[in-house]
Amino acid sequence: MRLICIVKFVPDVDNFKYDYENNVLIRENVRLTLNPDDACAVAFALKVKTQCPKTHIEVVTMAPISVKPHMEDLLRLGIDRGTIISDRLYAGSDTYATSLVLGRYLSSQTYDVILSGTHAIDGDTSHIPAQLGDLLGLNQMSGIIKVDEVALSQTLAVFEVETEDMIATYEMRLPAILSLTRESSYKLPYIRRQDMDLDVTSRLKILSNESLGFEADEVGIKGSPTKVAKTYTKEFNQKERTVIGTDDEGITLVYDFLKEKGFI
Amino acid sequence: MKSCLIYIDHKEIQNSIDLLEVARQMFQDEPYETTGVEFGNQDVTPIEGFDYLIQVHHPKIKLYDQVAVTDVMVQIQEANAYDCILIPATYYGRILAPRLSMHLGVGLVADVTAIGHYNNDLEMIRPAFSGRIMAGIVSRSQSPIMMSIRQGVFHYEDQNNKVTKTMKYVPTQVKDGGISCLSVKKKEQIYDIRESDVLVSGGGGVVKSFHHLEKLATKLGGQVSASRKIVDQGLATRSIQVGQSGKTVSPKLYIAIGIYGSIQHVEGLKNVPHMISVNINRDAPICSLSDIVVEGDAVAFIDGLMKKIEENEGTVL
Repeated sequence: MRLICIVKFVPDVDNFKYDYENNVLIRENVRLTLNPDDACAVAFALKVKTQCPKTHIEVVTMAPISVKPHMEDLLRLGIDRGTIISDRLYAGSDTYATSLVLGRYLSSQTYDVILSGTHAIDGDTSHIPAQLGDLLGLNQMSGIIKVDEVALSQTLAVFEVETEDMIATYEMRLPAILSLTRESSYKLPYIRRQDMDLDVTSRLKILSNESLGFEADEVGIKGSPTKVAKTYTKEFNQKERTVIGTDDEGITLVYDFLKEKGFI
Repeated sequence: MKSCLIYIDHKEIQNSIDLLEVARQMFQDEPYETTGVEFGNQDVTPIEGFDYLIQVHHPKIKLYDQVAVTDVMVQIQEANAYDCILIPATYYGRILAPRLSMHLGVGLVADVTAIGHYNNDLEMIRPAFSGRIMAGIVSRSQSPIMMSIRQGVFHYEDQNNKVTKTMKYVPTQVKDGGISCLSVKKKEQIYDIRESDVLVSGGGGVVKSFHHLEKLATKLGGQVSASRKIVDQGLATRSIQVGQSGKTVSPKLYIAIGIYGSIQHVEGLKNVPHMISVNINRDAPICSLSDIVVEGDAVAFIDGLMKKIEENEGTVL
């Protein structure tokens, strides 16, 4: 089987700190990491390959070339092919423009399944897998927590999706796009010690717009129908707060407060 | 006159109707009309507030087949050329909206939580970086404007007692996305924390004593909710999680026990008039948002308060 994983490298937002006093988000000194949902998609692909060594896995990302070391690490896990699509022309692309770029590349590839994450921890739009579905004429489902590896064939996939109120099992004709979530149990392995310095350059491809042939106004900022006009740091109304302890006095104060407001 | 199409998600009907408030804020004084579109027979909740309601009927449409649903929405849009399409950011909505916008060749803003106006342009405000910052997005002048809207944030109050004109739409063709549902297992339906006036909420500081919260919640006529840390530990289901990746709640009273107060958590609190935080650290960020900060142990607080309440219960004024 041929599997293609589309991934994104994102800032590690968990390490952003928020300064409530000054209403400032501190984003400095935060490294890039593989988006957690996407890591599950790659982990699932590797699991399939463990069971079926002839499986061919390609990981594709649209990113600045600086993600090269991250891609090399993925290749060291046993991914067959890594593709970085990178061009200054693509900078500032919103999800629409990004989908056009990825879509054009994917339309020239052969695959049985396209795997992805459901949402990215930075943008969190969940647009790209669905948009690619429309562009490539494929069905797509998000929120996948489990894919049945035994039932997976070149024509069919069986998987479980978890939503708010239920867990549903679907059967879908392939090729299609399956978007996993970090709620699934697929975890990336660690790179084996003997592979830590493996030279994987022959398996990494870097493509520029020369290969895809977009006009400047079709991609990047010019080609994006949506644009960030402004960012707002969250304003929180700080309150005049009373600080007390769990002694009698404190408890009484809370009790009186609740009684006064009608909660008791 | 401007026209707005609103997708009604059969699983979240009230949340979908609330999108009428988004339309109201978008158009302000400009005259506009609204059309709701629902798939199948939804006799469960009355759908009010729209000028028009399109009921889509076709035996072959499976609501989980977004290829089919998108195609019908495209048909409806091409027939009527609405100026904007609003979709609730539910599980299905978040798949439908990007498919539909890509097909129509327009931009889409996801998970909108506020509407603004920026230099005469419509500004769609939404959380980014997992809720740590808000981004104001503008769309190039294009039609239709498309948004998916975060649930539980906008609330529509029906002022006009409109008479909704209902129309049936039977598509002549339905696409087949090649998907079928093999089984559905309903999750244990607990309560909906969005409906509670009082929430006693636990965070990472009460991992060992999370079960204590229930008795206080019951005493105050409320429910227990949780931060992401508790849910990730398997101590509670995501359905009672408050925050960016959980639910947005607006209780009258929020008691935050052992909760740090990261932005992603606080993002889930909207218009909460009274907040009490209980924490061994009085400088935890959540404390700046609280009316009362109880510095101390959670269990001591809960037991102390329960005792006080029970002691005074016999008193009838």
